[in-house]
Amino acid sequence: MVHDDQLDFEQLVDEHQAMVYSLALRMTGDHGLAEEIAQDVFLELDRNLSKIESADHACFWLRRVAMSRSTDALRRRQARRMEQWVEIEEGHGAKAESSSSPLASGLSSRLEQLLATLPEAQRAALLLRYQEDLTPEEIAAALGAPLATVKSHLQRGLKLLRAKAATHLHEYIR
Amino acid sequence: MDEFERELRQALGRQPAPQDLKSKIMARRAQQPQLVRQPRSTPRPHVFHWQRMAASITVAAVLAGGLLWREQEQRRRGEEARDQVLTALRITGHALDHMHSQLTAHDHAAEE
Repeated sequence: MVHDDQLDFEQLVDEHQAMVYSLALRMTGDHGLAEEIAQDVFLELDRNLSKIESADHACFWLRRVAMSRSTDALRRRQARRMEQWVEIEEGHGAKAESSSSPLASGLSSRLEQLLATLPEAQRAALLLRYQEDLTPEEIAAALGAPLATVKSHLQRGLKLLRAKAATHLHEYIR
Repeated sequence: MDEFERELRQALGRQPAPQDLKSKIMARRAQQPQLVRQPRSTPRPHVFHWQRMAASITVAAVLAGGLLWREQEQRRRGEEARDQVLTALRITGHALDHMHSQLTAHDHAAEE
């Protein structure tokens, strides 16, 4: 039984580690913190494995907990010291750019950087919409927020991101 | 979905997790005390069920007995107090009767 659990758990880690890590990374902008959050999320999954009913449930659970832990980590860090944010953002941007080279990848990393400057709630909604391809209803369930609020965050976030892109990325946007 | 949203979706593709993330998770998992995982569908043995019921019945019986004893004790004390009051009233009645007869005798003597 324990062996089966372990296999299941390992399989869940294999399948979902990129999702959990990406969500944490784009919410916090910090590779180290994102990795720490991803580890914590999977260990929490391990403790709650008996409550997980299906593969879909596991995916939903992981998204929800990853977003929640990322938000908690952001708030703890903001409370600790604000200046750390600048270092982290710079580090994140540098690493993202180093991993991509051509024009298109440049645009992608710049869009990621701009996304990181959006308010936390808008960033979370856009991340789940465009990284995870979730519908507004699914986003509302994942964030535990009212649907109207999520729709508003999506609209405002996208509008703000367009405006920022028009200002900062005019060399890429036609 | 317009061009900008398509660009955004492309930009936000999932990033690969660090190569050692899984091994770190498994290492931390191994360090934690082994959880006793019980399948959700496994029913509890019947013996626990009966033990629970027996314990509940015993507790209920003790509580009911306690309440009954308390009620009887209160009733006994109430009756005792009532008897004491009646005795006191009886003594007072006798004293008053005695005093009344003495006063009557005194009045008769004064008239004569």
